[in-house]
Amino acid sequence: MSIAEQSVAQTGHVTEELPNFITLLNQWFPHSGLVHFFHYWENIVFSFLVLGLIAHRFIGAARQKSFLPKGRQNRCEMVVEGITGFVTGILGPKGIEHVPFLGTLFIYILIENFLGMIPFMKSPTSAWSTTIALALITTVYVQWVGIKEQGFFHYVKHMAGNPQGLLGLALVPIMLVINLSIEYLAVPLSLSLRLFANVSSEDKLLYKFAELTGMYWGAPFPFQIFANVLVMIFSLVQAFVFLLLATVYISLIMPHDEEHSDPQCGASSAAH
Amino acid sequence: MEFFQENIHLKEVFIQLVAFLIVFLTLKKFAWKPLLAIMKERRDKFEHEWTHIEKIKKDVAALQKDYQTHLQKIEEEARIKMQEAIQEGRRIAREIQEKARADSQASFEKAKETIGIEVEKARIELRREIAKLSLQVAEKVISEKMDGAFHEKKALELIDELEKKL
Repeated sequence: MSIAEQSVAQTGHVTEELPNFITLLNQWFPHSGLVHFFHYWENIVFSFLVLGLIAHRFIGAARQKSFLPKGRQNRCEMVVEGITGFVTGILGPKGIEHVPFLGTLFIYILIENFLGMIPFMKSPTSAWSTTIALALITTVYVQWVGIKEQGFFHYVKHMAGNPQGLLGLALVPIMLVINLSIEYLAVPLSLSLRLFANVSSEDKLLYKFAELTGMYWGAPFPFQIFANVLVMIFSLVQAFVFLLLATVYISLIMPHDEEHSDPQCGASSAAH
Repeated sequence: MEFFQENIHLKEVFIQLVAFLIVFLTLKKFAWKPLLAIMKERRDKFEHEWTHIEKIKKDVAALQKDYQTHLQKIEEEARIKMQEAIQEGRRIAREIQEKARADSQASFEKAKETIGIEVEKARIELRREIAKLSLQVAEKVISEKMDGAFHEKKALELIDELEKKL
C-alpha cells in the first residue's frame, strides 16, 4: 500500500493537512453557499490562483520586451533560460519548441508544491485529481509529439515494436497492448502518483509537526523548521523530476537517426 | 477501486485539464513566444557583435603584423642609411684631413721658401752693406792719413758697426 492508501485506510479521507483559508472560512460560515462552493472546489481555486499568478507575472514580464532586461523580465528570463538550457540539453536544439509546454508545466507544479508552505494556503498537487490531469496532459502531449514527428504510420509501427519478420508480425497485437498500456496507462499513473504521493505526504508531514508543536508547547518547533526546509527541497525535486521525465518521454518518442540500428530502441520502451 | 473513486474526481480532473490547457496556450502565445523571441534576438545580436568583434580583432592583428613588418623595414632602412651616412662622414673627414695636411704642407713649403728668399735677400743686402762699408773704410783710409794704431782702431770700429748691423 502506498502512503496515500495508508492515509486513506487510516483516516478515511486524504485531507490530513494544515487548514487553509477556505477551510477556515467554511468553519466560520458553514451555511454560506459561496464558501461551501469554494470549499468543494478548493483544489481548483488554488490551482486558479497559481495559474493566475504565473500568467500575470510572465505575461507582464513578456510585455516589457526590453532588450536590456531588468526587474521582473530579468527574473522571468533567468527561469526561461534555465529551463531552455535543461530541455535543449536533453532534446537538442529542436527541443526549443517544447520549452513552452515543459516550462509551464515545471513552473506550475513548482509553485503549486510551494503553495502548501505558505500559511493558510494549500498545494493543489496534494490532490490526485490535479496531478492526474497534469500527467494526462503530458501523456497526450508526448504522444502528439510522437505522431507529429514520426508520422502516424511510423508511430503505430513504433507502438507495435517495429515488427520484422513473421515472428515480429505475430507479436504485433501483444506489443501494441503492452506499449499502449505503458504509454497511456503506466506513464500517467506513475507520473501522477509520484507527485501526488510526495506532495500529500509533505503536507501531512508539516501538519504532523505543527500538531506536535501545538501539543508540546512549541518544543518541536525546530523540527518543524527542518521539515519546512525538507519540504522546500522535495517540492523542487518533485517538480524537477516531473520536468525531467516529461522531457525524457519526449526525447524517447522523437525519431532518432540511429533508431533502426540502435539496440537502445527496445530499451527506450523498457524505460517507460 | 474505492481509493480511485475517493481520490480522483473526474470533474476536477477535467477542470484542471482545461484550466492548464488555457493557461498553457495563453502563456505560449503571450509569454513564452515573446520571451524566447527577445532572448533569441539578444543572443543573435550578441553573436553578431561577437563575430564582428572577432573580425575586428583579426583585422587589428593583421594590421599590427603589417605595421610591425613595415616598422622593421623602416628600421632596417634607417639603419642602412645611418651606416651610409657614417661611412660618408668618415670619408669626408678623411678627405678634409688629407686636404688640411696637404694645405699645411704647402703652407710650410711656401713659408720655408719665403724664409729662404728673405735670408738670401738679407745676405745680398749684407754683402752690399759690407761693400759699402768697405768703400767707406777705404774712403776714410785714403782721405785721412792715419798711422798704424789709428788704422787698426778704425778697422775695429767698422767691425763693431758691422756686428751691430748684423
